[in-house]
Amino acid sequence: MNRIERFYATIERKPVDRPASWLGLPLPEACERLFSYFKSSDINQLKQKLEDDIYPVEIPYESPHSNAIYTALNFAKHAGAPDQRTLTAPGFFEDYSDPGRIDDFDWPDPAKHIDPEKCRRAVGAVPAGYPIMGVLWSAHFQDACSAFGMETALVKMLTEPEMFRAVIERITEFYLDANDIFYSATKGKLDAILIGNDFGSQRGLMLSPDAIREFVIPGTRKFVEQAKSYGLKVVYHSCGSIYDVIPDLIAVGVDVVHPIQALAKDMEPERLKRDFGDQVSFCGGVDAQQLLIHGTPQQVKDSVRKLKRLFPTGLVFSPSHEAILPDVDPANIEAMFEAIKEPV
Amino acid sequence: MNILNEISLKLQQGNAKAVKELVQQAIDEGYAAEEILEQGLMAGIDVIGEKFKNNEIYVPEVLIAARAMNAGTVLLKPLLVSDNVQAKGKVVLGTVKGDLHDIGKNLVRMMMEGKGLEVIDLGIDVPVDKFIETAIQENAQIIACSALLTTTMNEMKLIVEAAQEAGIRDKVKIMIGGAPVTDQFRESIGADLYAPDAASAAEVAVQACAGMS
Repeated sequence: MNRIERFYATIERKPVDRPASWLGLPLPEACERLFSYFKSSDINQLKQKLEDDIYPVEIPYESPHSNAIYTALNFAKHAGAPDQRTLTAPGFFEDYSDPGRIDDFDWPDPAKHIDPEKCRRAVGAVPAGYPIMGVLWSAHFQDACSAFGMETALVKMLTEPEMFRAVIERITEFYLDANDIFYSATKGKLDAILIGNDFGSQRGLMLSPDAIREFVIPGTRKFVEQAKSYGLKVVYHSCGSIYDVIPDLIAVGVDVVHPIQALAKDMEPERLKRDFGDQVSFCGGVDAQQLLIHGTPQQVKDSVRKLKRLFPTGLVFSPSHEAILPDVDPANIEAMFEAIKEPV
Repeated sequence: MNILNEISLKLQQGNAKAVKELVQQAIDEGYAAEEILEQGLMAGIDVIGEKFKNNEIYVPEVLIAARAMNAGTVLLKPLLVSDNVQAKGKVVLGTVKGDLHDIGKNLVRMMMEGKGLEVIDLGIDVPVDKFIETAIQENAQIIACSALLTTTMNEMKLIVEAAQEAGIRDKVKIMIGGAPVTDQFRESIGADLYAPDAASAAEVAVQACAGMS
């Protein structure tokens, strides 16, 4: 099987020569360690050496305030907030209660900041033979939290639901417009997209399943429908324990649930396989909270082999957090890929 | 229904306005501030903590309950001071250096305050020295620190070592928590206390302070 065949077969839960893999998105500091360990000069060489299967491409976004789509909406109320996304810092809409004033914020126009030609170039630069996954995020819930400040947002969700809804719907519109530029420019070249929000904690959902259904799922459904209209597979991300809303993600058409944070409550691969294995595929599963950091290469291999017995297909093997941190031992990444490549 | 039970119930519902009115009514009716605090507000937040621990309610419900509690405690504070009611302990709280994720830490603060502890919240990205200096200045019994990232967990070990060097190791318990943190990790770095969730953190802290008094 070539990479593209393996990718589709894995996520369509068909027989594979070996399950597809995805290295993830190592942070720059982690890249340094990986390049050095694997004697690679860049990410392309590294992926080639690892025989990685998926190539991620971020949607090119450039504005005076941001060079990444996931920081395009800067809601920081005060300059110098420590995190550009200001999840918990006060946000622009902190004191707003009138949904009619939604346009007080200077919403950026995606058409001014996403150049279709750059989209085509970014996708065209991918080495031949890889399935290409557009990394869009479209994190409408997280951005809605930033828009108010997280605590205020979660309170308003209960006490002023119309205000919260107005903001999250406007954010959804922004991303739908942005994604459409990317999809149109790269039509026929993309295979999948990665979108999502973090709404799980280590021990459960941050919001009730009902609140997720009311406020988060409607936008998610639009993102999925839009991607499907371009023939794309949808990989949906949320860190943490999200077991209770996986059926909702399946219902809106998500193809792959990412990243199986294996140590989070109710996210054991066995449970996910048993309860959802015939309805949806997964990506992730190789624990990045303990195993890849503190485990030995042998322990990593044992874990991957166990996962392969559980998921001979239907799981794209990948660290359980896509942003590989610099404390992950490159020898464990090597062990992970070696075990993935062992015959099924 | 007893007015203190009613305060507890309205707090659980997150009804700040009703809590404020009922607390004022209880004061006017001659209830002692400590009684209103413990049997009304703290009883209510106890139920919230337990339900949160069991995933029966979620972060938004905890936040509105905490805001309702604050609406009541504002009225009680001057009375508690004049009655010389002491906090059950003092905690210095923050996320460790390099870690900006604070929703979990904020929930811990709310639960601890709901248990009658005084919390000095240093916020996010707190250097080791700041934890130690504040604990000394404030004569705190507990330093509670959280980390979401595996890369920042090592800061917790540095806090334990710095407390030792500062000579306060026998006076201050060090509590750790956060998504990747485990009791095994606590043991490996020589910290004293670990809790897997905000409500448990508050319970553990109260017990620790009681044991130190």
